[in-house]
Amino acid sequence: MKPIHDEKFSTIERVQREFKEAGYVCSRQIATTVYLAYHLCKPVLVEGPAGVGKTELAKTAASFLDVPLIRLQCYEGLDESKALYEWKYGKQLLYTQLLRDKLDQIIKGENGLDGSIRKLHQYDDIFFSMDFLEPRPLLKAIQEKKGAVLLVDEVDKSDDEFEAFLLEVLSDFQVSIPEVGTIAAVTKPFVFLTSNNTRELSEALKRRCLHLYIPFPDQKLEREIVRIRVPDISEKLETQLVAFIHEVRKLDIRKVPSISESIDWARVLMILHVNQLNVDLIQDTLNTFVKFEEDVRLVKEQLRSMAEKAIQASHT
Amino acid sequence: MDSVLGNFILALRGSGIRVSVSESIDAMHVTDLIGYGDREMLKVALSATLAKTLAEKEIFNATFDRFFSTDVPFDHACDLEGATEERGDEEIPLIGRMILSGNMAGLAVAMSQAALSVDITGIQFFTQKGIYVRRLMQQMGFDELNDFIRTLRRGGDEEEARLANILEQGREDLSDRVRNFVERQYDLYAGSAAEGMIESYLKNARLTNIEQHHYQQIRIIIRKMVKNLRDLHTRRKKGAKRGQLDFKKTMRSNISYQGLPFDTRWKMKKIDRPKVMVICDVSRSVSTIVRFFLLILYSLNELIEKIDTFIFCSNLVDAGSVFEKYDLEEALVRLQTGTGLDIWMGRTDYGQSLRDFWEGWAGSLTRKTTVIILGDARNNFGDPEVGTLKKMQERCKRLIWLNPETPSLWGSGDSEMKRYLPFCHIARECNTLNHLEKVMHSLL
Repeated sequence: MKPIHDEKFSTIERVQREFKEAGYVCSRQIATTVYLAYHLCKPVLVEGPAGVGKTELAKTAASFLDVPLIRLQCYEGLDESKALYEWKYGKQLLYTQLLRDKLDQIIKGENGLDGSIRKLHQYDDIFFSMDFLEPRPLLKAIQEKKGAVLLVDEVDKSDDEFEAFLLEVLSDFQVSIPEVGTIAAVTKPFVFLTSNNTRELSEALKRRCLHLYIPFPDQKLEREIVRIRVPDISEKLETQLVAFIHEVRKLDIRKVPSISESIDWARVLMILHVNQLNVDLIQDTLNTFVKFEEDVRLVKEQLRSMAEKAIQASHT
Repeated sequence: MDSVLGNFILALRGSGIRVSVSESIDAMHVTDLIGYGDREMLKVALSATLAKTLAEKEIFNATFDRFFSTDVPFDHACDLEGATEERGDEEIPLIGRMILSGNMAGLAVAMSQAALSVDITGIQFFTQKGIYVRRLMQQMGFDELNDFIRTLRRGGDEEEARLANILEQGREDLSDRVRNFVERQYDLYAGSAAEGMIESYLKNARLTNIEQHHYQQIRIIIRKMVKNLRDLHTRRKKGAKRGQLDFKKTMRSNISYQGLPFDTRWKMKKIDRPKVMVICDVSRSVSTIVRFFLLILYSLNELIEKIDTFIFCSNLVDAGSVFEKYDLEEALVRLQTGTGLDIWMGRTDYGQSLRDFWEGWAGSLTRKTTVIILGDARNNFGDPEVGTLKKMQERCKRLIWLNPETPSLWGSGDSEMKRYLPFCHIARECNTLNHLEKVMHSLL
């Protein structure tokens, strides 16, 4: 990344402020880690429960730096040819067919096999050049002249082999393609890796990254997030909503509502032109943030008391 | 690298966070960038570079707070003008002067320098505290200070006596500080060493001999052990299915060779995590060791997904629900006494228990199942039902018998171990944590 964006990363406060302007309210911890990651040229490994804005962080970073976001979604079975590069076989075949006449002309003068091959050798790199290379996310990120934000999403879903391969790319930011040579990054991309902790990542990968754990935010921060994402919301509703969501998170349910779900709920309530919460309303819109049948039942059991607490919250 | 950061990393390692060299280099860059000015920011920044899991972050925060704890400043800047004026500065030893002028920062620096020169990071045992306190004091010049106070007293002058009093008070105060300082350093650096020693002792001690107060520690050791095992083994491994061509993959990888099968790909199969069924004797004959068995079972239950646990005495019951419902202490008591379970705590009956197992759960025994039996095979001369064990062995992948008795006692008295032996894939003596660990390894 360096040194194009040095100015944007001059202080931690600035990072925090500009992220907020881009619509991402980040705690000091997040801002500090992003700041450090830029200055140390290190990838950031972001962990935390689903829906706390791990992916969003990378997207915001891209818009903050005004560089493209290149996303690599990991899954079991992801391999080099889908992550790094692939030869355009079809194009190669098509071109050899089309250029058959030309090739004949080139070889024409020569009689022996030896001579023909020697002559062809002068041209052979044509079919294995950058024109016939299909860059996949990792290579694309390295090739971006002005840098890019590379988001390796859900890296814990990939296989061990891929994780090992990723190490090489992340530590040197270069890729070697046997036919072409080594391509090194002109500007190192800013890398975010996200993980949901479905399995332990290897020590080696963790060592190379800065580690950021994003927990569920406290009420104050979450209110701020909701306000930024849903600007029309009244202060009263926003306080009640966040308080209620926090009450739900305290319950022992299968899937706790995430930030993105609080935002969704806020949007739903805006569409319904609601100014403050009440029990019936919560009951009707419960399914925007509670997604399992058992959870719904559990929440409904305690709905009344939780709703009261939430409504009280706006009075204090 | 500056020594503060170095010592901090040492302290982190002491508390169980693995910090690699490259990470310490990162931490150094971080302190260069951020500086030591803002405590919270430094904490966040170092936490991002040094602690890489949620659990580690907790340890990190605790260690950080302990390491960078601040002292209350000295309050000895008393009215001393009269006393010091007529004396040349050279006469009073350096720390004496610092005490008199209330130079708190100077004293702190002197203390850290002294700590550096006596290499306090080497402290390992609590018995060494006294020595280190003494060495630190010596290094800081307490001896000179004492001499000076003595000469002052000998003079008999009133002004001088007053000065001596103030210096003495300051000295007491400072020595308290030194003691506290050493105490803290001991906490930081010695924790791991002492822990390591106790741990290795506990691992090798016979479980029957371990006293109750080590119990908490055993619990932690077992958790660590099980966690290690899990980290090693939860990843699904791949193995080649020998000789089977993976047609799709081969086609794809050979497009570049015009479809000639030049680069062949073979079918792989994923080897699944083991499925484990544990049967545990909770009768009185093994009561001393059963706590540990149960402890291990409990930890395994938390960490491994596919595990079924059974306990038996006169008959056999499924104990999985107890593990799920109650916390550790409660579960252990419930299992040992059989509260809330349909178990009869009479004479141990291996025959009946094996029969119960066969009748109730034989269906879930498959070629992937590993069965572990924990017990001493002392059957009170009843029918051992060797045939049932044989049937079980035939159906499962592996049958492991862990016996708390040493092999020389197997088969003696009412022990039926010798008769069960032919139908166990593995039978081992198991009465220390190390034994257990080895068995768990071979299991996974």
